[in-house]
Amino acid sequence: MGTKRVGGTLRKAWNYKWIYVMLIPVMAYFIIFRYIPMYGITIAFKDYNIFQGVFASPWVGVKVFRKIFANKNFWSAIKNTFVLNLCALAVSFPLTIIVSLMLNEIAGVKFKKLTQSILYLPHFISWVVVAGIATNMFAMQEGSINAVLQRLGVGPVPFLSSNGWWIFTYVVSNVWKEIGWGTIIYLAALTGVDETLYEASYLDGASKFQRLIYITLPSIKSIIVTMLILNISKMMSIGLDAPLLLGNAKVMGVSEVISTYTYRIGIEKAQYSQSTAIGLFQSVVNIVILLAADRFAKAIGEDGII
Amino acid sequence: MKAKTLKFSAGMFIIYILITILAFACLYPFLNVLACSLSGYNPVLSGKVTFYPIDFTIEAYKMILGRKTIWTAMWTTIEITLMGTALSLLLTILAAYALSIRDLPGRKVMTGLILFTMYFGGGMIPTFLVVKGVGLYNTLGALFIPQSISVFNFIVMRTFFRELPDSLTDAARIDGASYMTVLVRIVLPLSIAVIATIGLFYAVGYWNSYFDALIYIQDDAKFTLQLRLRSLLFGNELGSAADDVGGTVVMPQSLKMATVAVSTLPILVVYPWLQKYFVKGVMLGSVKG
Repeated sequence: MGTKRVGGTLRKAWNYKWIYVMLIPVMAYFIIFRYIPMYGITIAFKDYNIFQGVFASPWVGVKVFRKIFANKNFWSAIKNTFVLNLCALAVSFPLTIIVSLMLNEIAGVKFKKLTQSILYLPHFISWVVVAGIATNMFAMQEGSINAVLQRLGVGPVPFLSSNGWWIFTYVVSNVWKEIGWGTIIYLAALTGVDETLYEASYLDGASKFQRLIYITLPSIKSIIVTMLILNISKMMSIGLDAPLLLGNAKVMGVSEVISTYTYRIGIEKAQYSQSTAIGLFQSVVNIVILLAADRFAKAIGEDGII
Repeated sequence: MKAKTLKFSAGMFIIYILITILAFACLYPFLNVLACSLSGYNPVLSGKVTFYPIDFTIEAYKMILGRKTIWTAMWTTIEITLMGTALSLLLTILAAYALSIRDLPGRKVMTGLILFTMYFGGGMIPTFLVVKGVGLYNTLGALFIPQSISVFNFIVMRTFFRELPDSLTDAARIDGASYMTVLVRIVLPLSIAVIATIGLFYAVGYWNSYFDALIYIQDDAKFTLQLRLRSLLFGNELGSAADDVGGTVVMPQSLKMATVAVSTLPILVVYPWLQKYFVKGVMLGSVKG
């Protein structure tokens, strides 16, 4: 019986031989560039030696982890990751929803299209360019923003060189780049709101504000919650581009995040084992947060995020 | 009733004003870049330039476009974008098509292997070691081969292929068409829009990426546009450039902003298409497969 079924499956698989041929390059890609690096994680538990390679380097247990946990720069990178993510989320999350709601109210089709086109544009600009523009505009001496501030009688603001102001600059750059793009998902949800509800409320004499509170927001509540959970689940990971390009030696105390720290230790200082261990630590924490967030979403009756 | 309509339009008016301000805030940095790149030395030095040029000059552009390194970097990036997008599309289409066939033995295992990589990966250094190990270090291949399939794009495309009516492909199969023929003759022509969308996703990604170039490229001659841009904007590469201007004096800021303008232009040229297809792509992606 068993062999017969195996034979059946094999015969069925034979029918698909060309499909498997198509999958060869795909699976080869995933094995070489995604799964073999996973094996490479073992160097987090080894004393990696360039000449011995990943396989032959000697095992050292959790010695590498002890070393990174004892380094205060590591904890500072974790703290900075949280702080930057939290600040960016606290500003961009509500702002994105507010902008979506405002865009949704706009009746003029042409005006809406034009403003949307402008708002989406920064999303397509590389971080190198965004950071270049930001450092130019926020500069102490020649920056146009400080020039305007000084004309208003406010002294030059160290947007790029003082810790607190650098976080401000980071958040502004992020919001500028992604706010318009972030509205797409809410605008899609808003077009799905039942039109008859609005009509009924209009007949009942509800004000625009009441409609917002009692119809619009409840209709998109689920997407808001999902987006919030999704964002919170990403608290431990942060793009490398923005902090690396916007940061400078003066604000290292707040701009050095996990990803930039991994880069500096791994690529610049060639401490492969340590860098890998930090990466692994981050991946594991990410997965734990993701699973917890998914559980939480399901527990409060929303769709899971995995 | 009358008071009410009046109140409505007052609220509406405020919304229009706020959105206009926001749109201007999004546009302002671009205008500032253009203005700085086209302004004379003194206005830029004193930070007077806002969104229109003062003491108009195109000297900065002359200097930037006269630099060979910019052209080399631009060409390298075009090459990578073209080759990368082609390879990415090919692999993504193959994966999405093959794994959209419902009764393919082993489909679940292979799909699972692919999806797993979204949540867990080797990380920077182990990937770096593999790329080095297969001999891609310091080659342009390192800039697109190791990241040729995005799992997100795979999901979007697979969802799309799955939603094509089975009757079409089944009929062709019964008529004796091979899977390859079905893919090329039936599936692809019906999927132009999604392929364009995902192709643009990949292309913009390659055009804008700089980190891979930062860690994999050593030779100055192989620098990509973003990497060149980084060393022009944040390094001291321009220090020497400012010296070889004969009589005219150009602010380094103007040079930097001219470089930014030149390297962003291609994105702006294709932006109408980008916007149209990207919004579609986001919608497709939000439908989970």
